[in-house]
Amino acid sequence: MSGQTAPNSSSKKALGGIAPTGLHADTINKLNARGMPYAPFVTNVDDFVGGQEAGVEGVMKKFEEMTAKYRYMEVNLQQKRKGLEVKIPDISKTLDVVRFLEARRCKRLGTKPTTIPKQPKNDDEPESEADEDDAASEASDDSEDLMDEVDELDAEDAEEGPESDVKSRNPLKTLYELNDTLFAEAEVEEDGNVGLWLGANTMLLYPLNEAVLLLSEKLSVAKRSLRHTKEDLEFLREQITVMEVNFARVHNWDVKRMIEVDMCAFTDEINFDVL
Amino acid sequence: MSLDQQRINTFSKYNSRLGDLQDELKVRQQDKEYYDDLEMELELADEDDQVLYKQGEAFFHLKPKAALKSLKTDRKAIERDIRSLEKRVEECETGMNDLKVQLKAKFGNQINLDLNPEED
Repeated sequence: MSGQTAPNSSSKKALGGIAPTGLHADTINKLNARGMPYAPFVTNVDDFVGGQEAGVEGVMKKFEEMTAKYRYMEVNLQQKRKGLEVKIPDISKTLDVVRFLEARRCKRLGTKPTTIPKQPKNDDEPESEADEDDAASEASDDSEDLMDEVDELDAEDAEEGPESDVKSRNPLKTLYELNDTLFAEAEVEEDGNVGLWLGANTMLLYPLNEAVLLLSEKLSVAKRSLRHTKEDLEFLREQITVMEVNFARVHNWDVKRMIEVDMCAFTDEINFDVL
Repeated sequence: MSLDQQRINTFSKYNSRLGDLQDELKVRQQDKEYYDDLEMELELADEDDQVLYKQGEAFFHLKPKAALKSLKTDRKAIERDIRSLEKRVEECETGMNDLKVQLKAKFGNQINLDLNPEED
């Protein structure tokens, strides 16, 4: 595997026009799952640079440019990752509350809470798939538990007198966060709808079951996106390392060549003196 | 040559992944401890009192019994998370140990592959 060099094929893209000789065949013109190019790995500096007489400045500059591009992508993805790491707990907290409200309402109306359809997972690793299946099966247990919880609430309602009118039931009182660490009390009017903040200064009213579906989909999309972002970041780290190693290899090769040139000159001098 | 480079890259990948996973695991384990404490408190609470239970960002008035049920499901989820994180930590560690053996055999003491150099 090591030491293979690419045939002088048409693959000129690998290094922005630099000939692909002396590069590891596995690293030419390959893209990762999200279309990012692999860094070419220089196996033979001599072939790659183009012989003992060739200059390395152009190659070094190209290497630096490519490393800078990888670093730029890395910074972007790090920001994306941070964004998602904030977004995911947000969505899942919202989903918790909506499910709680839905469980209350379903119990009241005698209907079943929404079950979340399984997301098609074609590009998931088998391992995480197993995890999610596990999660899904336990999630259904969870909703049963929630139902039990609501049973209790209803039992308490019943003690206060049989009331058929939905509105005269025990109102749902809540403390909500008005501002950082400041909470205010509110009574929730349970009409089976919930307002979801969609961003862009818009809030939309959703029926509870649609809200559950929407939020769970958003949650799984965000989780998948985070997983991909993490993979890409690992990938970029590797490519940056490869580029740095390439840079060092070509640089060392150049230094060694310079020393050899100096040595030759030195030997010539000595010979001259002796004569 | 490039095979060694790949091994070193993979080792570095595992190492940074391990750091992330351990951070995440620490947070989850802390959360679980809070849940355990809360469970104790709720079991001691008066049956007829209402407690304020935080669901998402808001607090709801629940009976201790109902709060306990909700707590149980939340705790189950967190225990599941911890289990899967621990599994992935283990994967990283075995991967790193394998690579360490291979790389040490080749480079001897010239290569420094200490796990978690930042750990005191």
